[in-house]
Amino acid sequence: MEATIEVTGLRKRFGSTLALDGMTFLVAPGQVTGFVGPNGAGKSTTMRVILGLDKADAGSALIGGQPYASLRRPLSHVGSLLDAAALQPSRSARNHLLWLAHSQGLSAKRADEVIERAGLASAARRRAGGYSLGMRQRLGIAAALLGDPPVLMFDEPFNGMDPEGIVWMRGFLKALAAQGRAVLVSSHLMSELEDTADHLVVVGRGRVIADAGVADLIAAASADRVTVRTTARGDAMTALARAGAEVAATGPDVLTVSNLTPESIVGLLSENAIPFTELSAHRASLEEAYMELTRDSVEFRAEAAR
Amino acid sequence: MSVITPYRTELSSSRDGFAQLLRAEWTKFRTVRGWVIGTVVGALIIVGLGVLTASKSMCSIATVTRQNPNPVFHACPAPATGPGGEWVTDSFYFVRQPLAGNGGLTVRITSLTGLYSTHGGLPSGGNLLAGMTRGVQPWSKAGIIIKASTRRGSAYAAMMVTGSHGVRMQWNFTHDVAGTAGKVSAASPRWLRLTRSGDVISGYDSADGRHWTLVGRAVLAGLPATAQAGLFAATPGYTVNSTSLGGTSSVGGPALATATFDRVSRQGTWPAGRWTGQDIQAPVDSALPRSVQGFTQGRGRFTVSGSGDIAPADSASQVEHTLGGAFAGLIAMVVIGVMFVTAEYRRGLIRTTLTASPRRGRVLAAKAIVLAAVTFVAGLVAAAITIPISEHLLRANGNPISPLSAATLLRVTAGTAALLAVGAVLAVAVGTLLRRSAAAVTAVIAGVVLPYLLAVISGVLPAGAEEWLVRVTPAAGFAVQQGAPAYHQVVATYTPGTGYFPLAPWAGFAVLCAWAAVLVTLAAFRLRRSDA
Amino acid sequence: MSAVLASQDRPQARWAGSRDALHSEWTKLRTITGPGLALIAAIALTAALGAIAANAAGCQARGCQIDPAKVSLTGIYLGQAIVAIVAVTVVGGEYSTGMIRLTLTAVPRRWQVLAAKAAVVSAATLAAGAVAVLGSLLAGRLLLYGHGFTPAHGYEPLSLGTAAVLRAAAGSVLYLVLIALLGLGIATAIRDTATSIGVALGLLYLFPIITSFVADPHWQRHMDQIGPMTAGLYIQATTNLRSLPLTPWQGLGVLAAWAAGALLAGGVMLSLRDA
Repeated sequence: MEATIEVTGLRKRFGSTLALDGMTFLVAPGQVTGFVGPNGAGKSTTMRVILGLDKADAGSALIGGQPYASLRRPLSHVGSLLDAAALQPSRSARNHLLWLAHSQGLSAKRADEVIERAGLASAARRRAGGYSLGMRQRLGIAAALLGDPPVLMFDEPFNGMDPEGIVWMRGFLKALAAQGRAVLVSSHLMSELEDTADHLVVVGRGRVIADAGVADLIAAASADRVTVRTTARGDAMTALARAGAEVAATGPDVLTVSNLTPESIVGLLSENAIPFTELSAHRASLEEAYMELTRDSVEFRAEAAR
Repeated sequence: MSVITPYRTELSSSRDGFAQLLRAEWTKFRTVRGWVIGTVVGALIIVGLGVLTASKSMCSIATVTRQNPNPVFHACPAPATGPGGEWVTDSFYFVRQPLAGNGGLTVRITSLTGLYSTHGGLPSGGNLLAGMTRGVQPWSKAGIIIKASTRRGSAYAAMMVTGSHGVRMQWNFTHDVAGTAGKVSAASPRWLRLTRSGDVISGYDSADGRHWTLVGRAVLAGLPATAQAGLFAATPGYTVNSTSLGGTSSVGGPALATATFDRVSRQGTWPAGRWTGQDIQAPVDSALPRSVQGFTQGRGRFTVSGSGDIAPADSASQVEHTLGGAFAGLIAMVVIGVMFVTAEYRRGLIRTTLTASPRRGRVLAAKAIVLAAVTFVAGLVAAAITIPISEHLLRANGNPISPLSAATLLRVTAGTAALLAVGAVLAVAVGTLLRRSAAAVTAVIAGVVLPYLLAVISGVLPAGAEEWLVRVTPAAGFAVQQGAPAYHQVVATYTPGTGYFPLAPWAGFAVLCAWAAVLVTLAAFRLRRSDA
Repeated sequence: MSAVLASQDRPQARWAGSRDALHSEWTKLRTITGPGLALIAAIALTAALGAIAANAAGCQARGCQIDPAKVSLTGIYLGQAIVAIVAVTVVGGEYSTGMIRLTLTAVPRRWQVLAAKAAVVSAATLAAGAVAVLGSLLAGRLLLYGHGFTPAHGYEPLSLGTAAVLRAAAGSVLYLVLIALLGLGIATAIRDTATSIGVALGLLYLFPIITSFVADPHWQRHMDQIGPMTAGLYIQATTNLRSLPLTPWQGLGVLAAWAAGALLAGGVMLSLRDA
């Protein structure tokens, strides 16, 4: 069975809201696929449709070529974490994993294994109602790994993690992908995904806006800018503009240059004997790339504080 | 470094009192569509059940005549009404003469015996009294009576001996005063005297004819100048109430009482001539037919046999029965009341609430008041709609509607609404105490509706346990729905199942309020002490 | 990848997964203390109420119209409320915490989830109900003898050897199981715990209360015949059977029909709706 998630033409309406409007993408194994989009873009809805929890009005969602409902022992095909708080407060974490294990024909031993792996061994027998946010996230991840599935889906797994937890999560997700699993991670934290994801599916208003590798997306975004600090601003501007760059004066002795690589800028300035004290290349961040892509798709925008 | 001026709000200052808190809680309530719909549904259930009850209550009398052997169905005739407006049974054998103006009557009774049938029906033809058992009923009555007229339901005052309640004076159906106790027999006869003076009739009894004790004084307003006075005998039928599966069954049959009078002396203006014997009886009655009632007179001695009763009739009014759906409306409001509180705990909204209004006692009070007000209005509207519709339906189905005074009707309607409101407050209190909706709803329903259920379905619990339940538990509040009072001089099934509660209406309601007060206090205590 | 995955290649029967669903539902039920305590409370309260009723009953002479088995089993009125609530929370609790999504992810065939819950709840109720009923009958047997229910008055001591008493006992246990299934169905359809409890108890209490207010004996009988609680409790009758509108087993059948209807409604809602 292939470790893939295949979503084709999903359409779903909630009352008067069109949540999904032709969502189509493929999640391939061996890489972490980020699933990003503004609030209300349809990320959680898509994940619920993939898991057979919500029914789409049109389109299909297949795991390894099969719909979720037809999977036997589904947790051995797909592991998911949708809502870390979906716990019975009076039940211990171990017992929570125990009933899940039993539903797949797995044993208590397997439950203990994943508890260990998620780093919850010391707190396993405490009631889940007393868990902190980060512990609940870890419990959810343990649940997702229970069946050792080749496909994993996580909805906002970084939520509530402290810095140490984020570092752990990052390494964890990459290791899972390196094992050949297909990993789909939805998040708002661009900075995290930048270091974690290899491929991105950017969605907005219920449809896919971009579906490419992270490096390609960043490169495609405009503004590979270079900042030059020089006292001879005017001469520098003339020289660079003649070479075809876009130059903007962004400070008393600061220039922002676009369309030229840092090497060629250094060469030009040296040729013309223009002194400069600083030259730094500014790579567009994923956040900037994302903001540009989804500018038109944002539904909820707050006014800046007055 | 520049100095930052502290932020000043531009909002105008607003008040933060209890009125604002009430408004906030009202807004919380009305903006949850489910709760508003639930309230409406609760009211509709009350109306719906009332209409169902009324439309399924039929009463009809079938009459068969020789000319037309097919049964013709008529609406049930209304019983007679007494001077106070209540339904009465006025059926007895009257040996009478007119008494003009003031005067009196004195007799000695030497025996009161009776016959009764245990199996209901009478043998047709032949000796009607064959197979009847000897014995007198507890409220068999015989004695002397001064009555405004022979119209059923007219005013009267009577001195009598009874089967097992001694000598009694009764007047105008609802009044009853005890005289000398003990059974009457030839060895211990009873002397009875009634004297009329204007509108006042005084009753006396004596054991020896010389020393008289005043038993009671009846004021019968508007007594005509000439009243009918004389001897009478009557007895209610033999009944054994037994509780069995799902109902109270009455087994019994008609009875006959026979009393022997002598030493009859009269004061005042009496006509010369014979006494008139008359059977005062309703057209459809469980009393024995005219043929076995009657009197004989000889050598100064009268023997009078009569059947029937002179007492208030069982008038568990059907109209307030149609508010029996109140329990279902109560369940709906209890669910909403509990959710009004526990929904805040589930999502942590309680923290937002208590941050906005740190005075926790007030928050609880505001919630309780808002819910009580909403429930009261809903209940009042529901009851006010149900009663006229039900009355119309009951009449259309041939049921006689017993007269309820305006005050009683108001009490039943407003009382039902108040019952629902206090029940909702109880739900808020228990919800605050327990914080979990399942436990809270269960606790309130088990404490308020379940005792009511067990008391209303006769035959589940023995009578003592039933009465205890409806006195002590919050279900006592249902007493406010009782339409007619219970009379001790009438043998009838006075149980919650037929609409009679052991506590007086407002006493029962007070019990419910006491429960609510205690639970609200406990809830406030818990709310103040515990972490949110 | 791992041994776990390899085991999936076995040919799958239509019922495959039911055993696992059952196992997981049982694990869910036994790993929280709430239902267990509630069922113990149900046992205690049922027996206690039965003892109180038996203690208050009395028979002075031959021909008392009192049914000793039914009096001993009076506690069912309280026990059924608790049993209904346990069943409701088995489903309602999952919806309120959001755990239902996890359950449906683990067992995507929704009818399997409902069937497994029904089986587990029935088993637990059966066990608790049996203890409660036996306790009630024992208390009744001991107490009633001292209150005039002696052979002299025509009453044999309560014994399971009597066919009628055995029917009343076994039927009462089945009654509790059916009430639990009724609650389960209602909660699956309504999804909110508090509302479901209100609807379940309201439905049970509706028929007997309204019957006592309708003045027409024909309609009273009719309502007694179709009410889930009123008809279901006919199973407890050991005397005066001819006065019942239905035979005891027919009455229990009416309750079974209600429970089946509730489960069907719940199952349909579960399959059609988004989680």
